[in-house]
Amino acid sequence: MTGGSWLCLLAPLAGTILILVGGSWIPRVVAAWIATISVFVAFGGAIWAFLSVHNQQYTGCLNGTCRGELTTAWTWLAAGHFSVPLQLLVDPLSTMMMLIVSGVGGLIVLYSIGYMDGDEEERRYFAYISFFVFSMLLLVEGGNLLMLLVGWGLVGLSSYLLIGFWHERPSAVAAAKKAFVMNAFGDATMALALFIVIAHTNSLSFGVLNVHFSSTQANLIALGLLGGAVAKSAQIPLQTWLPDAMEGPTPVSALIHAATMVTAGVYLIARTSPIFEQARTIELMAAGLGALTLLVAGLIALVQTDIKRVIAYSTMSQIGYMFVGVGVGGYANGMFHLMTHAFFKALLFMTAGLAIHALANEQDIRKMRGLGRVMPFTKWCFLAGALALVGIPPFAGFFSKDPIIASTLNIGWYGYVFYACGIAGAFLTGLYTFRLWFLVFPGEPSPFVREHYHDHNGREGAWTMLVPVGILAVLATIGGWIQFPPHWDPITKWLAPVAPSLADAVPSSTQETVTSIVSVLVGLAGIAVAWAVYSERKIAIPAVPSVRRILENKFYFDWLYDRIFYAPGVWLANVLRREFEEPVVLQTGTDLGETTLAAGGIVRRLQTGLLRTYVLLLAAGAAGVVLAFLIAK
Amino acid sequence: MLGPDVAWYIAVAAFLFGIGALGVLIRRNTLVVLLSLELMLNGGNLALIALSRQWHNGAGQIFGLTVMAIAASEVCVGLGLVVALNRRNLSLDVDTLSELRG
Repeated sequence: MTGGSWLCLLAPLAGTILILVGGSWIPRVVAAWIATISVFVAFGGAIWAFLSVHNQQYTGCLNGTCRGELTTAWTWLAAGHFSVPLQLLVDPLSTMMMLIVSGVGGLIVLYSIGYMDGDEEERRYFAYISFFVFSMLLLVEGGNLLMLLVGWGLVGLSSYLLIGFWHERPSAVAAAKKAFVMNAFGDATMALALFIVIAHTNSLSFGVLNVHFSSTQANLIALGLLGGAVAKSAQIPLQTWLPDAMEGPTPVSALIHAATMVTAGVYLIARTSPIFEQARTIELMAAGLGALTLLVAGLIALVQTDIKRVIAYSTMSQIGYMFVGVGVGGYANGMFHLMTHAFFKALLFMTAGLAIHALANEQDIRKMRGLGRVMPFTKWCFLAGALALVGIPPFAGFFSKDPIIASTLNIGWYGYVFYACGIAGAFLTGLYTFRLWFLVFPGEPSPFVREHYHDHNGREGAWTMLVPVGILAVLATIGGWIQFPPHWDPITKWLAPVAPSLADAVPSSTQETVTSIVSVLVGLAGIAVAWAVYSERKIAIPAVPSVRRILENKFYFDWLYDRIFYAPGVWLANVLRREFEEPVVLQTGTDLGETTLAAGGIVRRLQTGLLRTYVLLLAAGAAGVVLAFLIAK
Repeated sequence: MLGPDVAWYIAVAAFLFGIGALGVLIRRNTLVVLLSLELMLNGGNLALIALSRQWHNGAGQIFGLTVMAIAASEVCVGLGLVVALNRRNLSLDVDTLSELRG
């Protein structure tokens, strides 16, 4: 059991080190395969760990671990009675995340081989991406809160490195910086939460979260953890970095900013659910932020023209659903949606990558009309992902999204608000997803497509790109069939020892059925409206300039943060430079130098250069000393 | 105790030291300055040895030997400098060698 977890964690790290140490001694293609194979080895380790957890005899709870095993390598930090071991936790929740991260990650790294082929700095890319997989696995396997925080910080770092991978583009560098700063804010609030935990329990193991905290402490801890989750998962109010992060290479967007890292917030809430259950208000706040984000992101996605940004906003919106799911206490629902979302969102990004790659890096959907005629494989795979995203049966999203919406019905009046948001979000999802579809794929190819389309040896891309897309298209189609509540719920049962869903969050059969029907109908309505507006042009796009302006400015969040944080920061820095640095810091050095020079100018006259003067002074001095001694005696 | 009183020895030592010091102060030739330095050192040595004999203490004589060794090394360096100056056709007048003036 423990062997699988260590293998899973260390294989990508070994890949990174090999590529970095090898440097230009190893050919580019070898570096790419080292990264790919290391991640697939990690997937093998994850399967090993999964099977051993699956076959383990249930023996009751120990140290907060009810199923699975905590393995300790050594004591990492020790200060007095407080110590943090370097340990990994293998339990149902972490094995599920390990399988998703290394499985989808392996496919995306394989896809990168074709996508990044010919880039100047391929080796650096593959070193970074396997380092990211290592960090993400550390995050999900970490056996205590500090290990989790370390992984949390490292994924932020690798995300920064990969967003800014094309470092000669100023926009990429700015986007990387923005992502890093916003994530650092979340890291800081998480660290503060951990300090409170240490102060109260003198420990950081996951088990201590079951201890009873006072209400204030529980609220503060949960709030700090929520801050981290919100920053990492790009939820309001820390959401503005995610769309900009699309400056990175497309496989990076698929892996980090869709399938794995941005969903870490959902994992965090599921993992630390005992503390969130003690602070129910904060947990519902998470659901509220999720509901707000899913609406806001869905609306903004309607007016975006960059293919990757549309998908990025849809990612924010889907993570909003997951937050609603875990926020109302249905941890299994949230985690199940995380899994299916990893499949279909990675698929959507990778098909978008195929299109971008074949069209000489063009990302503007207004130029892409009729792409389906020249890229049929891409077209059908994208359609599978789009239907899964909208939640049309039998595609994956149908099985995972509807239970989340239904689970909000029993928790009180705010549950109905979340429910309404979820249903409205389903309509928006259908609308923006199929806006993208109708603008890009059907119809006659546009002149731009005719002119710029170039295939790859007669196919739509290298085989390393097409195979992962095909596999994910299959997963996006059938991946949801492993759970169909309330009749068939292996994932809920699997996660029950770690994060049992609250009783409130289990909808009745009727609620489930009605919700499924309503949300599918609403999703279809969204598709129909998209068809009427963007394909047939029967309905003109409603021209409300003010609304359009608000949406195109993304609800002015960036503008607001500029005014509140950036502009005062710059103003303060300028004032300090003018009033303090220039007169005090810079001037002090010059003044010191000038004073010393002046003093030296006086003393230098003593140095005549005449030997005899020196001797005379010496003799006079000696005589003076002798005289002084004689008198003193 | 045989020989003159220790005061005489000290007087001769002081006289030697005085001549040497005067030479260092007023002569301008580098060689003569070095000679005068040797005189000063030997004046000091004489005082050390005379007092050592007076107090029956060997330490003064050991100091005397050490001073001689150091004087020999100092002469080596000093004469080396004089030779070097001469090779470059520089003046041996100490007053003209005033490179170190501040």
